[in-house]
Amino acid sequence: MKLIIKRISHPKIFVYTVIWLMVLTVLGTLAQRNIGLYASQQKYFSSYIIWLGDIIPAPGGRITMVIMLVNLASMLFKHNIWKLKKAGIIIVHLGAVLLFIGSGVTAILSSEGNMVIDEGAQSNYVDDYHNMELAIINTSRENLDEYTVFDQPLLKKGNKLSHESLDFMIEIMEYYNNCKVQRRTEPADIKYKGMMKNFDLVELNLEKENTQNRSGIIYKIENSNLTNDGIYGLILGQSVTQTATINNQNFEFLFRKKRTYLPFSIELLDFKKVLHAGTGIAKSYSSEINLIENGIPRRVLIQMNEPLRHRGYTFFQSSFIEGPEGEATVLAAVKNYGRLFPYISSIVMSIGLFLHLLINLPKLLRKNIIAGKK
Amino acid sequence: MTKQIILLFLVFLMLSCDSNNHIRTYHLPKIHHTNNETFQTKSQKPQLSGFTWEKPDSWIPSQGSSMRIASFDVPFSTGMGDLSVMELGGDGGGLVANVNRWRGQIGLEPLEESEIRAQAQPGESKIGPYEIFQLINDSNSDTAMLTAILPMNNSTLYIKLTASKDGIIDLEKDFKTFCSSIKHDTNI
Repeated sequence: MKLIIKRISHPKIFVYTVIWLMVLTVLGTLAQRNIGLYASQQKYFSSYIIWLGDIIPAPGGRITMVIMLVNLASMLFKHNIWKLKKAGIIIVHLGAVLLFIGSGVTAILSSEGNMVIDEGAQSNYVDDYHNMELAIINTSRENLDEYTVFDQPLLKKGNKLSHESLDFMIEIMEYYNNCKVQRRTEPADIKYKGMMKNFDLVELNLEKENTQNRSGIIYKIENSNLTNDGIYGLILGQSVTQTATINNQNFEFLFRKKRTYLPFSIELLDFKKVLHAGTGIAKSYSSEINLIENGIPRRVLIQMNEPLRHRGYTFFQSSFIEGPEGEATVLAAVKNYGRLFPYISSIVMSIGLFLHLLINLPKLLRKNIIAGKK
Repeated sequence: MTKQIILLFLVFLMLSCDSNNHIRTYHLPKIHHTNNETFQTKSQKPQLSGFTWEKPDSWIPSQGSSMRIASFDVPFSTGMGDLSVMELGGDGGGLVANVNRWRGQIGLEPLEESEIRAQAQPGESKIGPYEIFQLINDSNSDTAMLTAILPMNNSTLYIKLTASKDGIIDLEKDFKTFCSSIKHDTNI
């Protein structure tokens, strides 16, 4: 075991991985020009493996950082490091380990999206910026709708989706990250239902800006009944849901941005926009809101650089919409469990470096004195 | 042994977690999904003609005839409607002639001017007032229309949505919002 720890804690591993991380940073930055920021992040930094030139496999950002974490953490398992004179080094390593754990927590558990709220209206959910979901809603009950939601990782071509709340099965036939609706030139086969009777979804090249991509799915309903079994299509932003009545239960099918419901609501009381004098360019925006929790409203002002932090969420004033029915605010909502890690780890590492300097100061001074005498 | 377990735990912690890969179920009070979501995202596209409008993102610009200022494929629960925007000089043939022409296209008998005006639903856009006509033939539910006529100084704007009867009912609110949002920018 000692040998294993010795090998995986070798400082050269850290040096090589840091160099590789720098290479990834350069590649990722260059790739942004062609594939956009989000796709570049996903390809180089959020992946375990990347394919150089689509042929050569190489470690992606995540695996590189896992190697760095293991390398740094295993250093702490060395027996000869646990000495008072190396306390500074231990603390610096602990700080670095904390930083990597924090980045892992952020990468895996954080979420970001936006809330669009009309003036006078309230909302209690956040729409994810990038991830989609297929929501199947049983609307048969009188007061409550029952939602069965399949997240994007399940919406892969060939996947079969089922759940105890559904009397039928869904097979994903196609998932497009960007597509458009195209009118059929010839009548469709009888197996196509709903919108797909007259239209088809056609895959498009990805836009650089991920929010401009319009995802869509083609799915097959099986084991329901002869009327509803068939192939359906949904595209992001489709204003009217696909409906079906299966075994006397009414269902609606929605393909939308992944939705996270909050344990509180936000009501937009007033949205204010200040323009630069004589121009149509916004100088500042602010949203006066009611934060409603357990039925109790609390008035808060969200403005540029002054976000609202509540229950782990941070709401930033992001944008606004001016429409015929009034104004709406767009709040960016971020939940980052690893938010404090960089601060804590920076403090820990600073303490470690300072301690290391203090411990070694007498030794350094002695060396200087001896050197001076010589 | 403890050290090895901690070390292995650190490795697998980073590799094994994936919070997205699951199915969720929950209950919510009833809402009308269509109305709630339709205008969450709005877009305004300046047109060469100088007209601008707000439309749901689900409306997809399509290729129409050269006479059209704009065309959209408009999805609804069981199909797709076709929306066109046309600007015709003067009164574009007049209200009665146009409404009766549309009625004829879906198999309805022509009506007198007084009857047509009685069926008009008034609306107000940034350019001025307009009138909406819902044309449904109960014996032919495959094709129905929702049309709006918006008179301007020297021309008339005709907005026509063609879909099935169910589609027209589904899309009526969006259509009205679209018509109300139409603006004309003389600087474009």
